[in-house]
Formats: sequence, structure tokens, C-alpha cells
Amino acid sequence: MKNRFIVLVFAFGLVACNGSENVGDSFNRTLLLTEIADNLIIPSYQQLDNSSAKLESSLRNFTNNPTIETLILAQQDWVVLYTDWQWATAFNFGPAGEDGLEKSLTEEIGTFPVSETKVEGILQSGTFNLNDFNRDARGIFALEYLLFRVDNNQQALVASMASENRKKFSLALLQNIRSKVQSVLSEWGGVYKPAFIAFFCTDAGSSTSELYNEFVKSFEALKNFKVTLPLGLRAGQTQSEPAKVEAYYSGRSLLGIQQHWMAMKSIWYGTSRHGEAGVGFYEYLENVSGGKELIKATEQQMTMVDNTIINLPNLPSFSQQITTNKQSLDILSIELQKQTRYFKSDLSSLLGIAITFASGDGD
Amino acid sequence: MRLAKLDTPVLVYPLVTFRILFGLVMLLSTIRFISLGWIDDHYIDPIIHFTYYGFSWIKVGPPWLMYTLHALMLFAALGIMLGAFYRLSAIVFFLSFTYVELIDITYYLNHYYFVSWVSLLLILLPANRYFSYDVWRKSVPSENFTPWWTIAVLQFMIALVYTFAGLAKINDHWLMEAMPLKIWLPAHHHLPVVGNLLSQEWIAYAFSWAGMLFDCSVFFLLLYKPTRIFAWITLVFFHAITGVLFQIGVFPVVMISASLIFFSPEWHHKLLLSIQKLIGYVGNSTVFNHSYTTPTFVKVVLICFVVFHLLFPWRYILYPGNIFWTEEGYRFSWRVMLMEKAGTATFYVKDSLTNREGVVDNSEFLNSHQEKQMAMQPDMILQYAKFLRAEFIKRGLNDPLVRAEVYVTLNGAPSRLLIDPTVNIAALEDTWKTKNWIMP
Repeated sequence: MKNRFIVLVFAFGLVACNGSENVGDSFNRTLLLTEIADNLIIPSYQQLDNSSAKLESSLRNFTNNPTIETLILAQQDWVVLYTDWQWATAFNFGPAGEDGLEKSLTEEIGTFPVSETKVEGILQSGTFNLNDFNRDARGIFALEYLLFRVDNNQQALVASMASENRKKFSLALLQNIRSKVQSVLSEWGGVYKPAFIAFFCTDAGSSTSELYNEFVKSFEALKNFKVTLPLGLRAGQTQSEPAKVEAYYSGRSLLGIQQHWMAMKSIWYGTSRHGEAGVGFYEYLENVSGGKELIKATEQQMTMVDNTIINLPNLPSFSQQITTNKQSLDILSIELQKQTRYFKSDLSSLLGIAITFASGDGD
Repeated sequence: MRLAKLDTPVLVYPLVTFRILFGLVMLLSTIRFISLGWIDDHYIDPIIHFTYYGFSWIKVGPPWLMYTLHALMLFAALGIMLGAFYRLSAIVFFLSFTYVELIDITYYLNHYYFVSWVSLLLILLPANRYFSYDVWRKSVPSENFTPWWTIAVLQFMIALVYTFAGLAKINDHWLMEAMPLKIWLPAHHHLPVVGNLLSQEWIAYAFSWAGMLFDCSVFFLLLYKPTRIFAWITLVFFHAITGVLFQIGVFPVVMISASLIFFSPEWHHKLLLSIQKLIGYVGNSTVFNHSYTTPTFVKVVLICFVVFHLLFPWRYILYPGNIFWTEEGYRFSWRVMLMEKAGTATFYVKDSLTNREGVVDNSEFLNSHQEKQMAMQPDMILQYAKFLRAEFIKRGLNDPLVRAEVYVTLNGAPSRLLIDPTVNIAALEDTWKTKNWIMP
């Protein structure tokens, strides 16, 4: 699927990085990339593949035999998939990057808010195309729309599954998610990983720079689209828009925000999802001048974000808290904003990582 | 110096080599630019463009025009190289290249600035009077000589680049702390042979001092015959290293080829003869002109040109504060690869009537290159604030106020506020005057 890209990466990698890395007293980026690939990226996609397989079987049960019991099982599996997704959403490069008309994995399967109009249109007509531009009518959150209701009326959800179109579409959505995830996973398991590790420079287009840039982009997506936008804190908004949260129908947005934030910290520390130590930007910083100060400042701000998130009650849902608990949520937006510079300019500057992809020359 | 000395006849060959190599490098650089897809990335895709002070009337053209201009640039560079319809080629190249550069200050590079001036000069220089298509088709006579100033002015341009770049390196950060090389070099510790060295601190100091001494002295060493070849080999070595280490595009090739102009006319003659032999070129009989009288107004313009270039880079002295922080007088001063600077700029737009304030997502309006440059340069921050004000008026906000929290890190120091985060920057004007809203 992305073979052209991989050949390109190899070609550039050999030219630009030229052989193996010296193991000197300075930081070993090969190790960083290897550990991130082995401890974070590949396990995240594996986990996502597992949870989508599990959801496929419970969804089949539910569509074949719609009852409240089968619905609840499918919903539970959807929440697991949603949780796993937060750990896999920050790596939109290489096999998960853009390729021609196909957008990044996050855009392909993680677009929200869902266009209810489009989904309802599809349910009416029974015809759909999962390769068109309507990314807001497919992926994890379109599936969520079919499995949950904001009012949590389980009877209605069970009854609606009588529709053949609905059955067909929900299974097709899940298969689409699975095939995208599998294709990314299989490339990571095959030809892409060695290419990723071989291209350990810091220039635009290198693995280090792509990993870093997508890390920052993912953090900004968390801040801008999962928090700031629904709160109505974006310039030009005249009111909050609770329906624009991620996972609006299941009401699990806060879980997603927590997990996404933990995934961000894991990349920075290089730890695995289950907390095993590895190598991340933290170790990298320890090895450059000025790094210790930045580690301290970054960690201080991380604690602020942690505390803000911990203090948010799990219920009611995030979108309801936008009305009932807005001040606390606004603080979350502010604390995430304060975190930005430690991830963005300060980090890239100290590590000498090119911020932009194929951006042009400097002098 | 008497003005008449400017007209002293000297052999034309260095100028001819310069023309051929400059045309060739520009040709390759334009092909590279097009094939990297940068016409779209830089000029067609962006929603807004950051203009140069005094040139805000320059607007980006429609896509077909941008493509046509680059095609023209390509042919014009070829025309310069071959000396074909030379003056027209030089005019077209100068205009199209300079127009394209003036569209967006994001992509400003000192060597683009250099190329613009040199291509302007080439319009005036008789670089097609020997070994050219124009001579071959007899539209101009073949000449072995040229007035002294036509070569000296190009040597002057090269002297400017190196000497000012060298003087700019004489500062605390560069010499006493080896910054920013202390940050940049270890990032390349994977390179073969030199890799291990690059992560050692003394190397950063050695590179810093050597770079400063090289830049300050290379012009004089190139001018002085006994040191010339040594200086040029050092220059090639220096540019090769920076070319490998940093993403600086065609700059090393431009300078390596341009600096050949210091070599003796006899050396250039031999070079040109061997090229002629190689391609089977037979020139026309040559006119030996031993006396020139350049019109006085050209000489006056030339002197103004030289004075301008000697003075303009010093304007930073007139501004208070640290030039690396404020960047007042930073551009157009041959300050290359001098600092590691990056910023995170968060803009807030407030409706004056409702007092509701919202945060801007920069990626909605800027590409990553634009955001990166804007986030550390006060004049670009101001332009962006004005754009945001206009944009949010369109979106229905009442008299929007725009403020920005801009945190900038300079040479690895912890980031701090660049500008006063309470000021409505959209109401400010960019002028030559000191920007007192920049934090000290």
C-alpha cells in the first residue's frame, strides 16, 4: 500500500544517515527509535487489532441477535477499542501516514464529530462508499453512533438493529477499521520497522523528526479538538458546543482524554503502556545541554495537568460537565495550553529536531 | 580612487565563468525547487502570506502564473548560462526570482537575497561578450576585455557575504559558549568518521572559532595570490561540512562556484578553452578593446550600491536590545546559521462587545513552516495578528482585539515571553522604529 513511500524512506535513510550509529557518550537515537517501536508503537497497533477483532465478534452477536445483553457486550468491547485507540493515535507517519488520497490513520478511522445526517442518509439508502471523502461518516465514532445513544435508551438501540441496512453498515464500518489497522500493523511488522530505525537523523523527514512532529500534532489535537473546541474556547466561538466532544454518544470522552494524555506522557518518557521503562525524549534530554532544566519544567507542568484531570469527576459525562462543571474544564484547557511550549518549541530546539516535514532550506 | 580607474580594462574570463556557473546553479536550483513540490507548498497552498516591509503590495499570483514564472525562471537561468539573449534572460530571471521571493518572508534566506542582487547586477554586466550563444550568433561582438568594475563588483558581493557573516559571529554566545553549535553538532553524532568527534564539546568551540576566523578572513585570503588556492580549498571544505550537517539547500554550491571569480584571468581562460574544446565551440574573431568609458550615472549608481551594502547591515546598532532576541535589523545582514531559536505562539482573539475571548488554532491558517518562523519573529507576529483581526471581523466578531502569548527559546535557554501578552498587537503598526512591545 505504501511501498513507494518505504522505498523513499530507505533511499533517503541510506543517503542521509549513512550506516550505523556510533555508540559514543552521547545519546543513541537508534535505541530511542527501536524502543519506541517495540514498546509503544507496535504493541499499540497489536492491541488495537485485538480489540477490534473482539468487537467484531460481539458486534456479529449483536446484529444476529439484538438483545440488551448482546448490546451491552458490544458496547463494552467498543469502549475497549476506544481506549486502545488513544494509544495508537499519535503515530501518523510511515504506514499510518498520508498516502495519495488516503489520509492518516487518525483521519481515516478517528474523525469526530460524526455527521449524523450523512450516517442517517446511509442507513436510509443502504448504499455507502468507505473510500470517499466522508470521513465523518465512518470509523470508530460512526460505529459509536450506531451502538450508543446519548439518552442511553437501550431498548431503542436493540429495536433499531432490526434494520438490515444498519446491520450491514455497522459490520462494514468495523471491517473497514480492522483492515486499516491490520495493514498498518503488518507493515510495521515487516518492511517498515527497519526503515524507521535506520533513518535516525534529525532532519526534516527523518524518523526522529516524524515521531516528534506527530507527537506534538497529537498533543495539539487532544488540546484543540477534544477539550478547547467543545468548551467553546476557540476564537470566534460564541458558545460551548458539547456535542463536538469525542465519543459524544457513549459519554466516555473523559476516559479518552485521560488515556490520550497518558499515551503522550508515555512517548515522552519512553515507557510502555503498562509502565515498563524504555527510552524516550526524557533520556534524550538528559543527554543534551540544558536538558535537565527542560525536564524539570516539563514534569512540573505535567503534574499540573495530571492533577486537573484527576480532580474531574467521572460522572456526569464530559459533555454534560461542560454545562455543570465548566470552570474545572476550562482549567484543563489552560493547563494543556501551558504544556504546549515544553513539548513544542523548547523540546525540538534543544534536541535539534527539524519541526517541519520537507519544509525548505534554512540558513 | 579616481572614477576612471573603474574602467581599467581587464581580461573578461572570470566574469564569463561566473555567468556560466551562476546560470547552471540557478537552473539546478530551480529544477530542485519545482521537483520538491515547493511551488505548491510555499505559494499555492498557504492561506495567507507574510509580506516584506514596504512590499505588502506584492501578492501571490494564481497557480498557473506561479508555474509559468518558474518555467520562465528555468529558461532564463539557461539563457544566462549559455549567454543566449543574455540581457533579456538576466532581466527575466531577476524579475521572476525576486518577485517570487518577495511573496512570503517566511522563506527568506540570505542566499536568496544574494541571488537577487547578483542577478540584478548581471543585467548590467557584459558577461556574454565571450564564449556565448550571443557571440556565436553575432548579436554581440566577442571581447577579451571588460572594465575592471564589472568583476570587482561581484568580488565585492562575495566579500559582503563572508565578512558580515564573520563579524556577526563575534559575540558572546558564539565564541564563549559555542552556541548554537553545541546544540547542533551532537545531533549529527551518527556521521561516519567525524561522528564521535561531533558530540564532544571542544569540537563545538573549535568549529565556532574556526568559522568566525574563516568568514572574517577568507575574502582577503582569496584576494591575495599566494594564499588564494589555500583559501578556496578551505572554502570548499567549509561549505561541504556545513552542507552535510545542516539543511541549507544549494547555498554551499552557490558560494563555492561564485568564489572562483577571485582566480586569475589566465586560469579562467584555460578553463574556458578546455570547455570550448570539449563541446567543439568555435568562437568568432575577437575584438581587442582597450579603453572603456562607463557612463557617469552608472558609476554613481554603482557607488551608491556599494555604500548601501556597506551600511545597511549595520542598522541593528540603531536599535536597543539584543538583536538575536528582537531581530530588529536581523535580515538582509548576512547573518547565517547564527542562533537556535524557536517559539510557541498562542493567539487570543477577543470580541470587544461581548468580551468573550477565544484561542486561535494556528494550523487553521498557517503551514508548519510559516508557524515556525512567525512564532519567533516580532514583525511576523504583528502581521499575523492583523490577519486574525480581519479574519474574525469577517466571521462576525465586534472590533476584535488580538493578543499573543509567545514563548521563545534562544540558544537552548528556557523559553520566556517575547512580547507583552497584554497588548492588542493588531492595533500596532510595523515601522522602522523600535518595537517597544518586545519584552527586553
